[in-house]
Amino acid sequence: MMKRRDAISQIALLLGGAFTAPTLMAMDVRKGNTSIVAADFSLTDAQRQIVSAVAEHIIPRTSTPGAIDAGVPAFIEMMLKDCYKKPEHNSFLKGVSDLAKANFLAQPAAGQVAMLTLLEANTKDLMKSYSQKRIKVGDNVDKDTLEGANGVPFWRLMKELTLLGYYTSEKGIQASFIYEPVPGKFELITDMKPTQKSFVY
Amino acid sequence: MNLNIDAIKGQTFDAIVIGSGISGGWAAKELTEKGLKVAVLERGREIKHIEGYETAMKNPWEFDHRGRPTNMAAEEYWAGMRTGYTPAEEHRYLFENDKQNPYIEKKGGFDWIRAYHTGGKSLLWGRQTYRWNREDFLANEKEGVGTPWPIGYDDLAPWYSYVEKFAGISGQAEGLDVLPDSDFLPAMQMTAPEVHFKNAVNKKLGRPVTVGRVAHLTKPGKQHTDLGRSSCNYRNKCMRGCPYGAYFSSLSATLPAAMRTGRLTMIHNAIAAEIIYDESTQKAKGVRVIDQNTMESKEYFAKIIFVNAGAIGSTSILMNSKSNRYQNGLGNDSDQLGRNIMDHHLGAGASATIEGFEKDYMFGNRPNGLYIPRFQNWGKDKRSYSRGFGYQGGASREGWGRGVGADGFGAEFKESLTHPGQWTVGFGGFGEILPNPENRFVLGAQKDKWGLPILEFSASFGQNELQMREDMMNEAATMLEAAGFKNINAYNKQDTHIGLGIHEMGTARMGTSVKNSIVNKHNQVHEVKNVFMTDGAVMASASCVNPSLTYMAMTARAADFAVNELKKRNL
Repeated sequence: MMKRRDAISQIALLLGGAFTAPTLMAMDVRKGNTSIVAADFSLTDAQRQIVSAVAEHIIPRTSTPGAIDAGVPAFIEMMLKDCYKKPEHNSFLKGVSDLAKANFLAQPAAGQVAMLTLLEANTKDLMKSYSQKRIKVGDNVDKDTLEGANGVPFWRLMKELTLLGYYTSEKGIQASFIYEPVPGKFELITDMKPTQKSFVY
Repeated sequence: MNLNIDAIKGQTFDAIVIGSGISGGWAAKELTEKGLKVAVLERGREIKHIEGYETAMKNPWEFDHRGRPTNMAAEEYWAGMRTGYTPAEEHRYLFENDKQNPYIEKKGGFDWIRAYHTGGKSLLWGRQTYRWNREDFLANEKEGVGTPWPIGYDDLAPWYSYVEKFAGISGQAEGLDVLPDSDFLPAMQMTAPEVHFKNAVNKKLGRPVTVGRVAHLTKPGKQHTDLGRSSCNYRNKCMRGCPYGAYFSSLSATLPAAMRTGRLTMIHNAIAAEIIYDESTQKAKGVRVIDQNTMESKEYFAKIIFVNAGAIGSTSILMNSKSNRYQNGLGNDSDQLGRNIMDHHLGAGASATIEGFEKDYMFGNRPNGLYIPRFQNWGKDKRSYSRGFGYQGGASREGWGRGVGADGFGAEFKESLTHPGQWTVGFGGFGEILPNPENRFVLGAQKDKWGLPILEFSASFGQNELQMREDMMNEAATMLEAAGFKNINAYNKQDTHIGLGIHEMGTARMGTSVKNSIVNKHNQVHEVKNVFMTDGAVMASASCVNPSLTYMAMTARAADFAVNELKKRNL
């Protein structure tokens, strides 16, 4: 028997990755939906420091630019303001505040990594309970709905927006991929080496 | 007085074409090439080929939100948001703002995606191009569904061939009855896992799989290069507008062809409010338009009128054209105007991951996938529902996006995402929707900002569509299993409406008599013979293949008939 899942995960696949619920829920906007257009969202300088540090842990500067070099922290703040709504604003701020309470910035690098590793593990459990509300529709069909009230967890938002901000930035693309905006042809490669960089168009 | 006469002269043409989209462009080309002076009335703004494609050459980082719609856009483009892609930052400028262009969903839902500018949705279409088959034209009559088509495959076949040569269709000839071959340019290549899939499905299930047939120039001929069109560059950024003219659109192909005759007048910002009916001649004499910016009302006159405003647009113009003779909408003696809205239902299929093929990769971004022709209710195959569906999909290697849901972060994680990930594959069905007279729209009591009635839709899927969707999901999984793919994820999106396929059809169907339909076999409004409709509105059934090629062929055929009738002084 095949597994039956909701189209949401399929949409995510089509978008080329597992994007979080707000993006997907936003695609389900209905007329007459009274959802509030972006409540104001901004971070304090202290919060910004934490966001920058976490983003740099996800994509650190190595021989190539890191998240901070590519302007990712400011991008994250802007995206939260423009493209996400209250539940995500709240969950994001709670995540930042939790790290502040745990004295995240005062930890040595290894301690910070350990905290984030734990956060990632916890978030996975949270995401499972978060995204899998299954309801019965008709006789045979299950439907998964996404519960938006709690907001996508902080770590998931950080990771998604850091990767999006970095791998679509000029610095990130030039440093990471072979950028070919006009390939001019379609050719099959049959002897790809493990060192092959992705083509980005 | 002289001024007035001059003005009327300036507003008088041999033919008026309402709409410059995929069928309006063809009407303009065919009628001008046959010697007529033609005015094309486009309700939207002017977009110029190449220079008008403002995002075409932008880099990913030049989009503030890297493509994502903002909260503001999500509210303004509420219908578009249901598609998941039309309000994306890179091509939103080519779609209409749904708040500014309201419509009402009375019962069920209807996704009405609009593009009001030169070329209309021909700039935005999926470019998948398929001929209807013989059975598609016969099914209504055999099953007693809807109304019989008064034309068959043989009526359209020469016109399919004619439009294909001009448009340029890339594809692979397969000799299948279910999916008749077109006049093809060279086919695009399949990737290695796709070839594996094709062979497995063919061997184990006896089903053909072919590469998508697309209106892209893979090897342009003189008829294409003469218009400034060139080869596909495999960017797959088509929806931003193609500066190479590599895919067929009104802007790249038909309008330039019409323009070079010297007989085309393009009139932009002209919303067709109504067709003016002359009670004494029992013909239409012109079109009243409203300037979308100045609100000024103006009339244009012609011997023949082609209504090519898109299925819903065309029908709403007829509905709004009221006279003593036609109090219920022009040509609407049958009360069929606005009924039988169809589309292709989608959002059911399956995806999977593919093991192996680590050394296979590709250079270039193919703007195309694979196509699996309908196999249900075909030959000896019988299902619990009628008609059928085809699949579109394909395989590709994951990019950096796989990192979002994956474990890990840091230097190694960062480096790993710079390489291609594993192969994934997915197929989704495009299913035929049966005509149902209760799936319809009417002119509402509320008016829009131009004083025209806001449309009210009632549309929902029937049992036949719902049963078919289960099968669309299950059969997709079966085929992925047959190919040995892993982690199969079958889905059937529940919260979906007619219209999501953006293949709106019906509402002014073609038929055998004025009693059952709006237009006759020549696409003429039955008793207003100088009015022709040749877009999705006239479809009496939907087939399961993408519809645009059929509109093109029908338009060329109807234009040929119209000009002959004019010469014989029958119009």
